Amino acid sequence: MKKGFALLETIIVITFVTVSLLLLYGTFTSMIDNSRKNILYDDASNIYRMYYLKEYLELYDLQNYMDGVDIREITCEDFSTNSCSLLFDEFELEHLYLVKYGLKDYQESNYSSTFNQYLYSLSNESDYSYRLVGEFIIEDEYHYASIGVMKE
Amino acid sequence: MRKGFTILELLISIALISVVLLLLLRVMMALEVINHDTSYASDDEIARTEIIQNIESDFIRQHLNGLQIEKNNEQIVFYLDMDEDKQLIVSKNSITYDGEVFSIKSVNAQYGLCIDYTYTDLENDYYLINFTIPVYIDGENTTSRDDLIFTYMGLKNEYSSYPNEFVC
Repeated sequence: MKKGFALLETIIVITFVTVSLLLLYGTFTSMIDNSRKNILYDDASNIYRMYYLKEYLELYDLQNYMDGVDIREITCEDFSTNSCSLLFDEFELEHLYLVKYGLKDYQESNYSSTFNQYLYSLSNESDYSYRLVGEFIIEDEYHYASIGVMKE
Repeated sequence: MRKGFTILELLISIALISVVLLLLLRVMMALEVINHDTSYASDDEIARTEIIQNIESDFIRQHLNGLQIEKNNEQIVFYLDMDEDKQLIVSKNSITYDGEVFSIKSVNAQYGLCIDYTYTDLENDYYLINFTIPVYIDGENTTSRDDLIFTYMGLKNEYSSYPNEFVC
């Protein structure tokens, strides 16, 4: 007479329970990761910083850099004003990019993974020509914010 | 031929299922606590965004002609000289802007009354003002992520009057 579980039954149950737990763990981990990432994107104060930066750089021909290139990194050397560096320091800006609106395919390997993830998270439902994307380093973490720019 | 389960198999199955359910229950209870904390935190995060948006929208729509900051033991008051004069009053548990009160909901959080203020002259007669209202969690300002950071950039005129610095 057979008593207790067969090895096969035990293995099947353990596999089933393990797979269920792994699925649960994977779901929660990705939810937590996404919420952590979203905290770093488009903070209200960073968006307004980008607004003021855009307004100021437009005085110094920001429009000239919207020349059809998909992604262009903008540095203070591009502008004839010392105030640009002051603004970068005050705003804790590490990098500034002009990115074509609605951009989908580009050479991702040229940019950091955090920058690529941010670009993927953006919607492209407005009619801007470009967006000015700021990469901030705040407390050793990369934060991103952007604002639309219309080509005149 | 044997059919069905033995009593031992049933008992072991019930015991195993109970253990798994207990573990799940513990996870769910932990998540409930996290959700409770997070809902307060997200209420405060929404209020933070709303305050920043209200003030920054006014900064953009109306020129900031002047600013005065006064502090006493219980609150700090910003007198904002715009097209319509407005006040921003910060106390430990709430922020009042233009008569609208935003209370902090997280029990362990408080606004700090020692603000960080900077004034910077820029080229082309522009100037930049930055001020930060810190948020303390359990008495410590561990991250700037919760702080309320305000920026204003404008063109100077003869009526402009701002403090060059603020010592708290």
